[in-house]
Amino acid sequence: MAVAEAELEAIRPPVRVNWTPYLLVLPTLFFLGLFFIYPMTQAIWLGITDPQSGAFTWAHFQRMSADLYFRDAIRFTLIITALAVPLQVLLGLAVALLVNSRFRGHSAFLYLTALPIGISDLAAGLIWLSIFTERGYLNAALQGLGFIQNPLIFLTYENRDWLLTAIVLTEVWRATAIVMVILLAGLQLIPRDYVETAGVFGAGRWQTLRHVILPLLRPSLQTALIIRTILAFQLFGTVVTLAGRQIPVLAGEAYFWYSIYRSPNVASAYAVLILLFSGTITWLYLRLLRIKEEEIKA
Amino acid sequence: MPAVRIIATLCALVVLAGSGAAISAPAQEIVFTSNQFTPVEEQEWARNTLLARFTQETGIGVRFITEAEGPYVDRLLAESRAGRGSIDVTGTLHGIFPVFLANNTLRDMAEVQRSLEARRDRTFFKDFLSAAKMEGTTAFVPWMQATYLIAARKEALRYFPAGRNPMAMTYDDLLQWGANIREATGQRRVGFPVGPRGLYGRFLHGYIYPSFTGSQVKRFKSPEAVEMWRYLRRLWGVSHPSSFVYEFMSEPLLLGEVWVAWDHVARIIPALRQRPDDFIVLPSPAGPRGRSFISVVVGLSIPRAAPNAELGARLIEYLTRPATQVMTLQGVGFFPVSPEAGGTVPSGGLRVMAEGVSAQSGARDARTALLPVGLGARTGEFVPLYVDTFTRIAVRGEDIQRVLNEQSRKLEELYRATNAPCSPPDPAARPCVPD
Repeated sequence: MAVAEAELEAIRPPVRVNWTPYLLVLPTLFFLGLFFIYPMTQAIWLGITDPQSGAFTWAHFQRMSADLYFRDAIRFTLIITALAVPLQVLLGLAVALLVNSRFRGHSAFLYLTALPIGISDLAAGLIWLSIFTERGYLNAALQGLGFIQNPLIFLTYENRDWLLTAIVLTEVWRATAIVMVILLAGLQLIPRDYVETAGVFGAGRWQTLRHVILPLLRPSLQTALIIRTILAFQLFGTVVTLAGRQIPVLAGEAYFWYSIYRSPNVASAYAVLILLFSGTITWLYLRLLRIKEEEIKA
Repeated sequence: MPAVRIIATLCALVVLAGSGAAISAPAQEIVFTSNQFTPVEEQEWARNTLLARFTQETGIGVRFITEAEGPYVDRLLAESRAGRGSIDVTGTLHGIFPVFLANNTLRDMAEVQRSLEARRDRTFFKDFLSAAKMEGTTAFVPWMQATYLIAARKEALRYFPAGRNPMAMTYDDLLQWGANIREATGQRRVGFPVGPRGLYGRFLHGYIYPSFTGSQVKRFKSPEAVEMWRYLRRLWGVSHPSSFVYEFMSEPLLLGEVWVAWDHVARIIPALRQRPDDFIVLPSPAGPRGRSFISVVVGLSIPRAAPNAELGARLIEYLTRPATQVMTLQGVGFFPVSPEAGGTVPSGGLRVMAEGVSAQSGARDARTALLPVGLGARTGEFVPLYVDTFTRIAVRGEDIQRVLNEQSRKLEELYRATNAPCSPPDPAARPCVPD
């Protein structure tokens, strides 16, 4: 046997490297390098070098961390992300399951729920500002129905919880659809046989969801969570419109350091911080939700 | 064959259109840059009304480029360093001219100023002419001015403290006014533009600081300043809590959320235009040390590297004509710099505004404060220092003297690093450091 295997080794032709895939990917790599890697490196460079002498310095990061709004910015960015993303995933999953059941009129319903994706976060902020402001729609409705005599002031610096609620509400309204669309696509990939088989074996709705659908949905969940979390770290327009600088967020601080204080270096320091946060969370998601090899083979 | 004919026809059309455009384009063109008129409506007005009339009159086309301060300054400096420029005329706030002077970017405008005065149809307010003289040269020709005022609903006047004159109110009157409104209606109806891009910082350093302490920088942490911050805490108690999202006060005024608002004239004008009979414009309040207000002067100048300096001078002549100054007032709410233009303001929202402006500049206890100059690349750090002080004292409730000491250290570091002089009403001293 050993001799036969040795002969087989000798006869097998040498493996030729197929260059085609690499050549096809080359233009994309070039594009990414020119418009993404190069500017990113420049931005990081801005954050760690002195503008006059070009020497390496931590001064910009020090200035960033000594700023009045720095700690609050980190705190509020994390709070908003921690509140908004789980809500959006749960709501998005619920709506996706609903649409997937193909009830009558489900395509119109899908269209309506997906509509807010096209709205920028600044526009969403302005829409909800016109609802929450003292002379806005919410107060007008409450007064018209007789629930309150005088208008309530929702957007007040004295109550940061209300400001946070308004921001999370606006974000959930605007961006749940992104999660929903990704999860819906994942749901439609699950063959109906699995669900029917589970039904044959006597599994209830809830058990089917927990043991059949969710595990198969894991890749889509991973994608949706990563995208949604990274975008949540970049949230800016909604927060500035609804809360000014009373709720500082990292992306907002980066903007203000560039436009008002006119220090591109500190703004880059903030950008690097956002990059670190996003990268860490993505890595965490990939680890926690990774598809184990055994599950696929089984 | 049909395909070839179609393509040929298209090419001929393109060539015709191109040549037609070339023929109808003005024979000469100059480039005019500014960091004013950046909002879209103002840009439209500048191109379609203000500069279009100049082109009609003289046949000289004007390419108007307006951008935020950073890129605007960078563009001009880059051209002057390269030695070859495309910018013929530039117009900006007087506080930016020292940056240009330091880089030897602009021509001396004394010649142009003399030729304008020789026409005998316009003069300029003396304050602005002296502001234009910097470091031995005439840095700019005054173009327009702006200021910040209080606009109030006429119905709110009945809550004004009895026996006091609204046209000569003090800060105590303002506080009492707000308190009266709060007592009568249960709502806080005094408003300030404390939003991220609002101009509240100007109120702090140019209006209330000099009115209480007589200075913008030097008496930053004096006992009078402590008194002033105590007052501001109380004023905040009668101000609308949503002020933190306000950037342009015309909207809350129109909505009725705010009855008494302080803001830049250009940001109040939309409310006055819509409902001129509902509002009244009042001069800013007076404190123990006088009625301080900021006069923002915008000036025109010709860069050294300008390719068409004579054509640029003609544009300057047109823009400073009294009739054009009135048109500018009607278009964007920036006020004339010539007394000759003052008398011809038509009625309506603008007249209401003009009355407030002249009442403010003509007040007996008026004190002009000017924007800080000479801070160069770090100009953007001045206003946030004051707004952060406000946030710490009035919103977070920290100890006043401690905050003032910490912030004044930062102010001192800023001025020592840039070696900048004081601005009025501070005495001229370089560098300007808090006592």
